Amino acid sequence: MFDVKTKVLVVDDMLTMRKIVTKIMRELGFTDIHEALDGEEAWAKVQAGNYGLIISDWNMPKCTGLDFLKKVRADEKYAKTPFVLVTAEAESHQVAEAIKSGVDQYVVKPFSRDSLKMKLESAHKKCATRISA
Amino acid sequence: MKEALPFIIEKHEGYTVVSLRGELDYHSGKTFDEHVDEIAAGVHVMVDCEGQAHIPKDWLRSVLRIQLTLKKDQKCMRLIKVSSALMNYLKKEGFDTTFKFAKDLREAKVDAGLATKRTLDTEFINPFLTATLHVLKVQAQIDARAGQVQIKKASDSIFGDVSGVIGIVSESFHGSVVITFPEATFLKIVSNMLGETYTEISKDILDGAGELTNMIFGQAKIVLNEKGYGIQTAIPSVVSGKNHSLSAMTKGPVVVVPFESQAGNFFVEICLSD
Repeated sequence: MFDVKTKVLVVDDMLTMRKIVTKIMRELGFTDIHEALDGEEAWAKVQAGNYGLIISDWNMPKCTGLDFLKKVRADEKYAKTPFVLVTAEAESHQVAEAIKSGVDQYVVKPFSRDSLKMKLESAHKKCATRISA
Repeated sequence: MKEALPFIIEKHEGYTVVSLRGELDYHSGKTFDEHVDEIAAGVHVMVDCEGQAHIPKDWLRSVLRIQLTLKKDQKCMRLIKVSSALMNYLKKEGFDTTFKFAKDLREAKVDAGLATKRTLDTEFINPFLTATLHVLKVQAQIDARAGQVQIKKASDSIFGDVSGVIGIVSESFHGSVVITFPEATFLKIVSNMLGETYTEISKDILDGAGELTNMIFGQAKIVLNEKGYGIQTAIPSVVSGKNHSLSAMTKGPVVVVPFESQAGNFFVEICLSD
């Protein structure tokens, strides 16, 4: 699992969902949690800070979570940053597109603390394998 | 400068739409004829005739060739958006029984078995009801129960304090889903979702109604799109105000489903239109 000191960025245009994710992350022991309202703000924060995990909503105005993911992956500096997409939609073509774009895990809303934890563990494993490869 | 051709070929999953636009002259007719094999390449074809009052005979011959080629592959061709002037012309030329017609793309797709008729039936409504129960259970740890589905009459109004609204948009139909909560129900649900007690509605929690609607819509969309409904992604909005009532923006029927839950009652409204 990720070190609880990892700097986390939670991205969602809905305040309620940011609060839900942040609350669960705190319950899991994480303390360095930051928030962004959309992909544009998130991208600015990523460039300014050293994030060890990004948890982003997909369906956001301006810059979607997928566009944000593509930006992150396209930049050599952040290409290996663990990235988890959260979405209410999980149609197979969307999952395929997210995987193709380099997402580490995909969380479907609604989700419980346990399911988010499981997805984070899986994302961590995937990232560890990727980095050691 | 190259002149724009009076036809557009758009290939989709399982069908091709050929739109006839502007003047169907002799020279472009020859170009169109060169595209017949490409158009009739094993998928259903819809020829969009919007704005056409007549189709020249050389063009009709090409359209007929498309139809004959498709027949061999057991595919069909439909002329869509045919004006009464064009229909009269086709009758006069003896083509009215040769071709098959459909009002629009949606009807043609239904005829071709590429889509099912969209009605507010149990197949359409149930995924929203199941999703509502699931979302409340998982995200707010609240058990709910759906009541009797009712057709909303023009004189009926559902009153609530917070509503989440999301549009249902697809290529061939549109509608909306509205979830309306009384204040007490909403506060209890949001308190459970966030693990904090809220006693009044504030901007900090208002978008919770939008998020709930988004999750319910998303879950239902997965199920419906597996059945070929083609519902597109949408962003929810929130309406708040003591005892407000919302009117459907479509002319189609509206169903209302009352829910009982540990947090109190609330309503889900679904409307659909062509």
